Amino acid sequence: MNPGDFQVAWEIMKWPLAACLLLPPLLVYLGLHVVRREVIFVDLALAQVATLGTCIALLLGHHFNDRITFWISLGVTFLGAAFFSWSRTSRKRNVPQEAIIGITFVVAAAGVILLLSRVAGGKEELEHLLTGDILNVTRGDVGQRAIIFAGLAAFYAAFHRRFALISSDPEQAEAQGGRVHLWDFLFYAAFALVVVSFVRLAGVLLTFAYLIVPAVCGVMLARSWLGRLLIGWGIAAAASLLGLWASYRLDLPTGAAIVVVCGLLLGLVSVVASLRRA
Amino acid sequence: MHTFGIVKLAAATLFALSGVSAPVAKQLNVVATTPDLAALAREIGGDAVAVTALAKPTEDPHFVDPKPSHLVTLNRADVLIEGGAELELGWLPPLLDNARNQKIAAGAPGRIVASQGIRMLEVPATFDRSKGDVHSLGNPHFVLDPLDAKIIAGGIADHLAQVDPANAAAFRANLKRFNATVDQKLAEWQKLLEPYRGTKIVTYHKDFVYFAARFNLEIVEELEPKPGIAPSPAHLAKVISTMQATKARVILVQPYQNRKTAETVARQTGATVLDMPQQPGAVPNTSTYFSVMDNLVRSLAGALEAKP
Repeated sequence: MNPGDFQVAWEIMKWPLAACLLLPPLLVYLGLHVVRREVIFVDLALAQVATLGTCIALLLGHHFNDRITFWISLGVTFLGAAFFSWSRTSRKRNVPQEAIIGITFVVAAAGVILLLSRVAGGKEELEHLLTGDILNVTRGDVGQRAIIFAGLAAFYAAFHRRFALISSDPEQAEAQGGRVHLWDFLFYAAFALVVVSFVRLAGVLLTFAYLIVPAVCGVMLARSWLGRLLIGWGIAAAASLLGLWASYRLDLPTGAAIVVVCGLLLGLVSVVASLRRA
Repeated sequence: MHTFGIVKLAAATLFALSGVSAPVAKQLNVVATTPDLAALAREIGGDAVAVTALAKPTEDPHFVDPKPSHLVTLNRADVLIEGGAELELGWLPPLLDNARNQKIAAGAPGRIVASQGIRMLEVPATFDRSKGDVHSLGNPHFVLDPLDAKIIAGGIADHLAQVDPANAAAFRANLKRFNATVDQKLAEWQKLLEPYRGTKIVTYHKDFVYFAARFNLEIVEELEPKPGIAPSPAHLAKVISTMQATKARVILVQPYQNRKTAETVARQTGATVLDMPQQPGAVPNTSTYFSVMDNLVRSLAGALEAKP
């Protein structure tokens, strides 16, 4: 690459790079909770519910980038968040929450297909929602998300102890008299906000990858929250850099490239983890 | 400014003294959104331009997956040719925002909007996106009308001459030759399709409207209930009954459209599904505008002859 080429590459990739370095750390933290709670697919389900909300907005004649589309999508996702927090704490019956999450995902996905069959270019819009358009993020997109994420990060940091207890030992939390229901809803509502704003930027696949893969790597290699968080951040950053680089050099769709790199890194980490055990 | 002038003068003197000839005039980087516009640019630009198309020939021009190479290409472009009339609405604007290239900004000489100067068909009187309406500016699939191709070529020649005045005469000569070839070929094509004047045909999308108008064919139905909306069972039932009533016997499809839907309808009606790729390079030996049109006209005439 001669200097002129580097200039072009930098101009083109700098905002995707900023988005992929600034925003995933919060996702990694939430991923640790999600892995701990064993509700791995909750974000896929919420992302799909968010997409359903977006489709409702599209069907009402709003454009994908209209602000109202975001609010409709967020409102629908909050409903989903309330549903999940309710279904977790009311598991007196013998239905595992993973089943509820799976069912929500499938029904929301099918709903999206039904709604988009009435929207011009629905098939392509569907693909777009899945893979996102991380390549074409703007300074405004990244800045707005960075502010939202910073606020939410402060919220989670302030109540980390409580969230951590509810995630790892809900019975204990209930015994201590914490209002688990309410905190669970707050957890899912904030989670929904993160998922909705990131999915619109990066698509469902990349959101899931940033949420789960670094967290799983952290769990494999460390025991403390902090250790896992630091490892997760490292993995997320490495996946972003490698994925963006590969996307540029090999001219691949950007989001999908990062997801595949996440998968490769997880393979590498599991080899390291099994070597350490041996 | 003053010092800069002196430096330039010194550099020029140095050039002259060292006997190094000035670098050979570099080709203009012309970028077209779709291969058909790229083919027209090659006709007019000749050797003075290097032409790149962003969409692949087998890709729906309404929906192109953005890749980093698109941004690099746009960033280095001297000239951009777009179809306009919202053809590329879904994917071009964000790419242009990120490519940050003033040479191809809206209104710059380096920006060519093919739809300018075209008499647009199907401009809607009312427009409601919630009813699935797209294309508030009319149907953007006009390149298949050879007379529209002449208008687009004229616009390309004008803009190229502005951006690269040294080659203006060559561009005008190329335009003249292109126009003469269109006139000659159009007569040939019209003769081939004349026996089928008024024939009723069905298309998947509203992408043969200009072609049908030029060659006096009548499109009785589209498989899509509205542009861009996937065919529904009820609509297909309506298409089938219309086809039976009007004796329409061919269904025209593009490589990126769902051929299976067309085949289902064809089974019910005894019609033929005809591949009519509009983009140069979608099938072998169709790299120019004329070879594409030759292929379309001959395929259609052949199919209509086989199915009287």
